[in-house]
Amino acid sequence: MLNGKNVGIIRTGSSALMKRPEELEMAFAPDADIYETEEAFVVKLDMPGAQKDSLNLLLESKRLIIRGEVSGQFQEQGRILYCEILKKKYYREFNLGNGIQMEKIVAQFDGGVLTVTLPKNEEVKSREIHIL
Amino acid sequence: MSLIRWNPVRGLATWPSDLFGMQREMNRMFDNYFHGTDLSEDASLAAWSPAVDITEQDNEYIVKVELPGVNKDDVKITLESNILTIRGEKKQEKETKKENYHRVERSYGSFQRSFNLPTSVKSDKIDAAYNDGILTVSLPKAEEAKPKQIEVKVK
Repeated sequence: MLNGKNVGIIRTGSSALMKRPEELEMAFAPDADIYETEEAFVVKLDMPGAQKDSLNLLLESKRLIIRGEVSGQFQEQGRILYCEILKKKYYREFNLGNGIQMEKIVAQFDGGVLTVTLPKNEEVKSREIHIL
Repeated sequence: MSLIRWNPVRGLATWPSDLFGMQREMNRMFDNYFHGTDLSEDASLAAWSPAVDITEQDNEYIVKVELPGVNKDDVKITLESNILTIRGEKKQEKETKKENYHRVERSYGSFQRSFNLPTSVKSDKIDAAYNDGILTVSLPKAEEAKPKQIEVKVK
């Protein structure tokens, strides 16, 4: 399994980063999956490291704005040997169509994943039509 | 031969202080492009590659991995001749049929990252926690690897 080819080499000595570059604190659009059930549209966003308290969902007419901050993760001590996790702020917007019960939108955060459930209006739910 | 995984973020993180390093990375990227990427079996099987941070403290190494939506039972951490390997699988939730998806941006499937640790660690004292989508592994250094102060007497 370990043939040495796929092993990351940790940089030490003078090439190791001593400080996480602050200028890399940037707005980051989290990856999203969107699917539809009979009752609702569901949006799932990968937001690893986001603090639950920092999550902010805003509904502005028909725009859903999602914000989240990663803090605490980067208050670590010591020398940085490997630095791939960006210090970032999550930001993403979605335009909502008609047929969503805006007042019934709910969200839940678990395991770094934000799940937003947008219930459908009665008129857009699929229903069987009886043949007279 | 050891292959260092090319990572655009790592190149960015050191810019501009490591401009030549970035050039090296670019050269490596072109070399791989024209000569075929030397992917091991494990790497070609991996569908995605989670971001990793490693910090060194006096007594331990802390490894952080971004693993949102991964069941912690699906993650395996192994240490073999000082090579730390974190592998696992991110499974798609089975609550809806595929045809109901409008958009799929999140990565799914198996992943693997391996790191050669600079010093030996206490393999029986390795600890891992999973919080808000971040896996944190702490690896206490072996006694002989800890920094020691040695007093040198000048005669």
